[in-house]
Amino acid sequence: MSSQSLLAVRDLNGWYGDSQALHGMEFDVRRGEVITLLGRNGAGKTTTLRAIMGLLRRKTGSIGFVGQEILGRMPEYIARRGIGYCPEERAIFSSLTVEENLFLPPVVADGGMALDDIYSLFPNIAERRHSQGTKLSGGEQQMLAIARILRTGATLLLLDEPTEGLAPVIVQQIGTIVRKLKERGFTVLLVEQNVRFAAKLADRHYVVEHGKVIDTLTAADVVGGIERIQNYLKV
Amino acid sequence: MMTLFGISPQLLFGQLLIGLINGVFYAMMSLGVAIIFGMLRIGNFVHGAQYMLGAFGAWYLLHLPDLFPGLGLPSLGYWWALVLVPFGVGLIGALMERLFIRKVYDLEHAYGLLLTVGLAMVIEGLFNVRYGAAGQQYDIPASLQGGVNLGFMFMPYYRLWVIVAGILVCLSTWYVIERTKLGAYLRAATENPDIVRAFGINVPRMLMLTYAFGVGLAGLAGVMAAPIYQVSPQMGQSIIITIFAVVVIGGMGSISGAIFTGLMLGMVEGLTKVFWPQASTTVIFVIMVLVLVFRPAGLFGKETVGAHAADMSTARPNSILENGRLWMAILAIGGAILPFLVYPVFGMKMLCLALFACAYNLIFGYVGLLAFGHAAFYGSSAYIAAFTAASWGFPTELAILSGVAIATLLGAIFGWLAIRRQGLYFAMITLALAQLVYFYAIQAPWTHGEDGIQQVPRGYLLGIVDLSEPLNMYYFVLAIFLFGFGVIYRIVRSPFGQVLKSIRENEPRAISLGYSTNRFKLLAFTLSAMLAGLAGGTKAIVFQIASLADLYFMTSADALLMTLIGGVGTLLGPVVGAVVVATMQKEFATLGSWVIVVQGATFVLCVLFLRKGVVGTLEDWLSAREERKRGASVAESVSQPEQAS
Repeated sequence: MSSQSLLAVRDLNGWYGDSQALHGMEFDVRRGEVITLLGRNGAGKTTTLRAIMGLLRRKTGSIGFVGQEILGRMPEYIARRGIGYCPEERAIFSSLTVEENLFLPPVVADGGMALDDIYSLFPNIAERRHSQGTKLSGGEQQMLAIARILRTGATLLLLDEPTEGLAPVIVQQIGTIVRKLKERGFTVLLVEQNVRFAAKLADRHYVVEHGKVIDTLTAADVVGGIERIQNYLKV
Repeated sequence: MMTLFGISPQLLFGQLLIGLINGVFYAMMSLGVAIIFGMLRIGNFVHGAQYMLGAFGAWYLLHLPDLFPGLGLPSLGYWWALVLVPFGVGLIGALMERLFIRKVYDLEHAYGLLLTVGLAMVIEGLFNVRYGAAGQQYDIPASLQGGVNLGFMFMPYYRLWVIVAGILVCLSTWYVIERTKLGAYLRAATENPDIVRAFGINVPRMLMLTYAFGVGLAGLAGVMAAPIYQVSPQMGQSIIITIFAVVVIGGMGSISGAIFTGLMLGMVEGLTKVFWPQASTTVIFVIMVLVLVFRPAGLFGKETVGAHAADMSTARPNSILENGRLWMAILAIGGAILPFLVYPVFGMKMLCLALFACAYNLIFGYVGLLAFGHAAFYGSSAYIAAFTAASWGFPTELAILSGVAIATLLGAIFGWLAIRRQGLYFAMITLALAQLVYFYAIQAPWTHGEDGIQQVPRGYLLGIVDLSEPLNMYYFVLAIFLFGFGVIYRIVRSPFGQVLKSIRENEPRAISLGYSTNRFKLLAFTLSAMLAGLAGGTKAIVFQIASLADLYFMTSADALLMTLIGGVGTLLGPVVGAVVVATMQKEFATLGSWVIVVQGATFVLCVLFLRKGVVGTLEDWLSAREERKRGASVAESVSQPEQAS
């Protein structure tokens, strides 16, 4: 199973300064899947993504991507292997226009989406392409943050809480977009707290607590047992 | 002959042209500084030295055959220099970034400031050792000799070339940064380097190239300046502080602001030379003050947020090293014995420096504001004390108090102007304000220019104790030092001091608790200036001289260095730092012109290897030892019951 894994995380420990945030994370993402990491605030979901991207300095364990060890590599190297990162804070650059933001990430492989396809997927962005990055609404910023990693040819997309703080109608749109991305063959690792949003999208869910995976649920498990996850997440 | 306000057009346009030429150099230099500050968050103090390297590079290329007679190298002229030198200087810049600058990106601004000041001292010092103060001649290239008569004035071709080429270089740089893909990478990396890296862009390498480019611009300016100004080791030193003022006026990090402000201020300077020559050296600094009052973010700057106070304190609250009463007693006893171990004059020098450093530590260590103009308070107080004692016959105590009063007044004014800013911005503003005082002292008649005020009488303490007796003077200085030390200890320990520390640690939180933090900062800054003035005034009486060196920015750098060497925000750090620096200055005095090089190297080494300072390192060691002890006793108490069972 793990031999087919696009991304294989093994015994991942990570620290912020002296405090340990990850305690032996383990999970797999196979090509073409949509996988979610579910968990409460502070469970270590974002930290896991940062560790995969090489943005977390202190870490041990193993992160395999396309069969190659990437733990300990520089972020720019990891990105060029074909991972696209959409951070929680969206990180739209205020000194750049929408179009400059969109074109910022360099193309790392063939097979990225064409600009026209991106604009047809995100019509709002096409309309506002000449505005300054931070003049966009929260939803538009989120769309832009996702849109800009589709052009690059990255095969694995890391989306960190794309629905956070957005109106239900926008959340629905983002759900549609993630589904379309899956149809196009993208592999998606999604960090979420919004179970109802994630349940309909993902092939598998990993429940994260105290820096490690405490349960794994398949899409089938979730259909009848959304309470089981809610139970994990309730405060 | 037509005249304008009684001034001939030849003079007017001539000065305007000179002003425009200066403006081109200001623009090119401040553009480099602004790029480096914007992208790397480094206040590049070595920019002047790099400009000087450019001019010397051109001169070297011309004299290749004389420099390496055996190799049969050709003499490379101006046009070669114009291409080769910026590359060479840029390469040196890249090397400096790789070896030094890179190490301080993630650290507080103070380290970058001290590091680049140190590097500038090393480079300029080395050239000074080799070439002295004399300038080297560099001729205008043959193809640009001569000029054209414009009717109202004579325009030399070379100057025309400098203006056109300089402005073109500035504009293309602006275009690359604001309008191209490469520029988008740079702007994005300025905002959020981590995310740009996570997109697959090698940000560290990009930063190195950015630094190299900014430095290369300085090199290019140096080549272009070589035929106009003399090629001398001091040429960068005299321009760099003006450049910082230009950057502040333009708005930190604003590319177009730096270009426009540079050109404009050069011309303003030229005009001032026509109408009021004495003010021409200070006009830029006066404009800076006005801009700060009315547009604190600079003419083209955006209101910046997120700048925070620098919490670099290495003190632990309950450490034995922070026990003021204990150390006050130890310092009093040690101080009383000291004159029997070292020369009293040397002892007094240490005490004055220690008080100065303690005063600086109050604002830098305890409030976290990177002040870089404390020379103004130290020096102005020295001048006033010396002047009132020498010319007006003030008794010693009153002379010192007059100095303190002036320093306090200046502190309140400077503080009021600068206090809304933080970090490097605060450093540059205080530096430029101090430079204003420095230029005033050069020109005012009562300060006697380069000579300073000499043969200041030491006088009688309270009219009875003869202070020309070294030991009497010494104990008077010791008393002043202990007074200052005690005052600072009281301030830091008071509720007021607790608010200061809370501002250092988290200013927004202090504000949300209802403290008007700016008022607290202003008061702390003024107190710090007052005590720095006390040190300066005392120093003038001890050494019977007040000179330009007291006001020079190196004195401000020394205050920062002493505090860093000793340990920022610690009770004893500044005292330890002062002892170290005073001893170093004494030992190095025999080195002649190498002093600057060695001192600069000390700056660099301190930033690289002694970041926590002597006291800070000692604190770490003490706390580690305590930890071990506690660990051992815990282990004992755990293991004993086991043995019993």
